[in-house]
Amino acid sequence: MNTDDLIEALARDPAPAETPKHGERATFTVLLGTAAALVLLLLFWGVRPDIVNKMPIVIAKAGFSAFLAAAAAPLLLRLARPGRPVGWRTGLLGLALLGGVIAASVALFATPAAERMAAWTGGGFPWCLLIIPTLAAPIAAGLMWLLRSMAPTQLELTGAAIGGVAGGLGAMVYALYCPVDSAAFVATWYSVAIGLCAVVGALIGGRILRW
Amino acid sequence: MVGDEPKLKALFLAGLAGDEASHRAFLREIAGGLRAYFRGRLRHALDDVEDLVQETLIAVHTRRDSYDPSYPVTAWVYAIGRYRMIDMIRRKKRRGISIALEDAPEVGEAPEADAAIAKRDLNKLLETLPQKQREAIRLVKLEGVSVKEAADALAISESDVKISAHRGLKALTALIRGKEGP
Repeated sequence: MNTDDLIEALARDPAPAETPKHGERATFTVLLGTAAALVLLLLFWGVRPDIVNKMPIVIAKAGFSAFLAAAAAPLLLRLARPGRPVGWRTGLLGLALLGGVIAASVALFATPAAERMAAWTGGGFPWCLLIIPTLAAPIAAGLMWLLRSMAPTQLELTGAAIGGVAGGLGAMVYALYCPVDSAAFVATWYSVAIGLCAVVGALIGGRILRW
Repeated sequence: MVGDEPKLKALFLAGLAGDEASHRAFLREIAGGLRAYFRGRLRHALDDVEDLVQETLIAVHTRRDSYDPSYPVTAWVYAIGRYRMIDMIRRKKRRGISIALEDAPEVGEAPEADAAIAKRDLNKLLETLPQKQREAIRLVKLEGVSVKEAADALAISESDVKISAHRGLKALTALIRGKEGP
């Protein structure tokens, strides 16, 4: 087809069919994904039995996770539309994860040397490395679907931001179950798990975000 | 094209508001800019340039709701164009065709890239002329030496230089017209 003919054909339909409500759709997608993660948690792991007594620490852990998700959100919002500089937004996600690492180090040094190892590993395999990405999956799937209908042009970075947001929200849900409360454990493994989600998101995003 | 930002933005916004003529003018304008942009970067795959221009026009048109009016419309168009180009290179790579992406000047310097292409095309066209005409044009019209010096260099008479250059230019014009179509 000749380019001039194409332009003629496209020009016959100037105005977009409807003004899209991106904000509403994004809110809906995040809420639906988080609800799905909660259902997954209840189905396979349940909530910790002492959740009522430990509410402050559960809220602190969930809050830390939500903070990491929130740190990835500006990057994701920015990448949804082409031609806008990303600026400080990538740095914010990096800084938040770095903050997690620093918090983990501080917490570790505050722990008596004898208990350090147990506090750091939570006395076994850090299961959150597997469970947080699992809980993040439905949220990430929803966000990938949403972003595909928008116009991301930096697919890997967009995928990483989706992974960061979904990982943070997944960790927030996981905090309802997570039996380990040491700050060193949470700051380390939650950050690592969310970082893992970002890496996987970048790898997957490069392929499935294409439009 | 970047210098046309206010004009392009006005055209695009009028198009979004439903004005067909503005939308058409906008698409025409950016098609030219995108063509130069892709040519500057895909010097080894010039056959793909027009496909990419068309793909980008379609993408710009179908995703026009993704434009954020607080940013330049040219940045939006080139971000989409760049994405389409990278996507095409990846698609080809998967089929085992590799395309070298030129380290081309960034957006805004596209006219220079266009000039480089034009020069290269001209050299290619010159190659098709008889040697005497080609040399006459090169010396007199491109390098700007005098007819007398050219005649000495080519060991032909001055009138022969003038006639050869004239005939060569005529032949070139015909070639270019033929290339672009009526």
